[in-house]
Amino acid sequence: MNPFWGNIFRSSGYEQTLAYFLSTMPMFKELDKRELAFLENVVHVRKYEVDEIIFSEGDIGSGMYTIRSGEVQIYTRGEQDQEIEQAILESGDFFGEISLTASRPRCASARATEPTVLVGLFRTDMLEAVRRHPAPSAKIMLGLNRVISDRLLQCSLQLEELKKQLADSQKQQADG
Amino acid sequence: MGNQSGMSRAQVAVLYLVLTMAIASGIAIYSSASTVTALLKTATAGLFLPILLSLIVSYLLDPAVYFFEGKKIGRTLSIFIVYFLLFSTVSLFLLIIGPPNWEGMVQALKADFPRYISHAIEYLSGLLTAVQEHFPFIENYNLAERMSAISQAIFGFILKETPRSAMRIGSLLLLVPLFSFFFLRDSRRIMRSLISLTPNRYFEVVLDIYAHVSWQLAHFIRGRILEALIIGVVIWMGLSLTDIRYAPILAIIAGVTNLVPYIGPLIGMLPGLIIALVDLGVGGQFWWILCVYVLIAQIIVDNFILIPILISKVSNLHPLGVILAIVMGGQLYGVIGMIIGVPIVSILNIFIIEIRHNRRNFNPYNRYFTSRGKLL
Repeated sequence: MNPFWGNIFRSSGYEQTLAYFLSTMPMFKELDKRELAFLENVVHVRKYEVDEIIFSEGDIGSGMYTIRSGEVQIYTRGEQDQEIEQAILESGDFFGEISLTASRPRCASARATEPTVLVGLFRTDMLEAVRRHPAPSAKIMLGLNRVISDRLLQCSLQLEELKKQLADSQKQQADG
Repeated sequence: MGNQSGMSRAQVAVLYLVLTMAIASGIAIYSSASTVTALLKTATAGLFLPILLSLIVSYLLDPAVYFFEGKKIGRTLSIFIVYFLLFSTVSLFLLIIGPPNWEGMVQALKADFPRYISHAIEYLSGLLTAVQEHFPFIENYNLAERMSAISQAIFGFILKETPRSAMRIGSLLLLVPLFSFFFLRDSRRIMRSLISLTPNRYFEVVLDIYAHVSWQLAHFIRGRILEALIIGVVIWMGLSLTDIRYAPILAIIAGVTNLVPYIGPLIGMLPGLIIALVDLGVGGQFWWILCVYVLIAQIIVDNFILIPILISKVSNLHPLGVILAIVMGGQLYGVIGMIIGVPIVSILNIFIIEIRHNRRNFNPYNRYFTSRGKLL
């Protein structure tokens, strides 16, 4: 279509809204429209430039971020202070969830590698929401809990796998 | 400098032009800024008190509004319900008890005021001569004359301000509900949009600090106002048991002055004690009134019951800080300054504590260091 007409007839439909984006997230997928509208008023939308630091290792964190668009690099500092890339996250991923429930230092740094739009969910807002609107907040927290538990389960399985591999290789060394 | 002597004439001319323009624009900005601040000052002259009062009202009504919002009623409707309930409670209260005869009381007080003052002056000068008898080295300080001059100034001020204050109260009755309605309805949205203006780097810190400060502020204001209200009611009940006149007015004075810590209660009990001394003389009733003011209201109710329940959750200032805040607030804005000085200093105190807590995040050089403090 002609970009001019495309601009005029662009669907400003539900798919463009923040509520729709949130409903595509695994942790918020069981919320109904009313609760999504509520969540929309709890989160903050933040825009980041290329190479802008989102948070640094050791900062006192205050919440988690989900990526609406763009790309985020998670990295830590090694012994010689070199950057060690831990992950590249894309639209729909989330990070920093450890700080959502308690003020802990960040265990890695995050940096935007493209112009990025993040949706931040912060502890203070969540605490207030729990106090004032317990029912939808409980649903949000349950969803988060489910996703984080899944991650923990995966981590445990992986750890188990690695332990097994380690035992095998030690055994081989002892044999060989 | 070789560099400067090497400048061409054109460069010197440009430099000259730029400097002149910089100075001129500096002066222009400075003068326009001072006119702008003057304009702002004139424009906001009468708004300080209504806005302050509506902020306080909205802090007080906020829990009630949230109670109704929790019942799945819209926020605007909840505010209207709370307003309606408040209005009907006050009217019902007045209907049952009957409105106190404020006007008659004020008129009588106007007539009685000079009498009380002259008695107080008499008593004080008697005290002074007695003191001078024992300590003759004390200079003959003409207390009586100064006291009467001050009291006449106060009396004249009250006489002059009464009609004006009636008008002001009328405008307050209109403005305060209106302002507090919007504060109640939109304060969250306004604060969210203000906070979202902060740069990404400081966003989390600002959000945390804001949450902390607003929580402490809400508790502080609610606690203080409730405390003043309860003290006023206690003193009203205590004074009603005696024959003292103007018990409601004295209770209001005691309640309002109770907002100023340490110094307020002392000032608040003075008029009551003077009136008791003049009208009732030193006797059982006078001692009872003193007991109501000091022992029951201040020590038992305030110190043992109210302060531990209402105020102790808020990070407290050092007493020295409180006194300094009261004195400085009084010098800046008079009585209102004395009342709001302490909360403002408490807010600053909370800010400083929070920023120190988050010092790492606030350090702009932070990103060049690792968590172990080494330079990158």
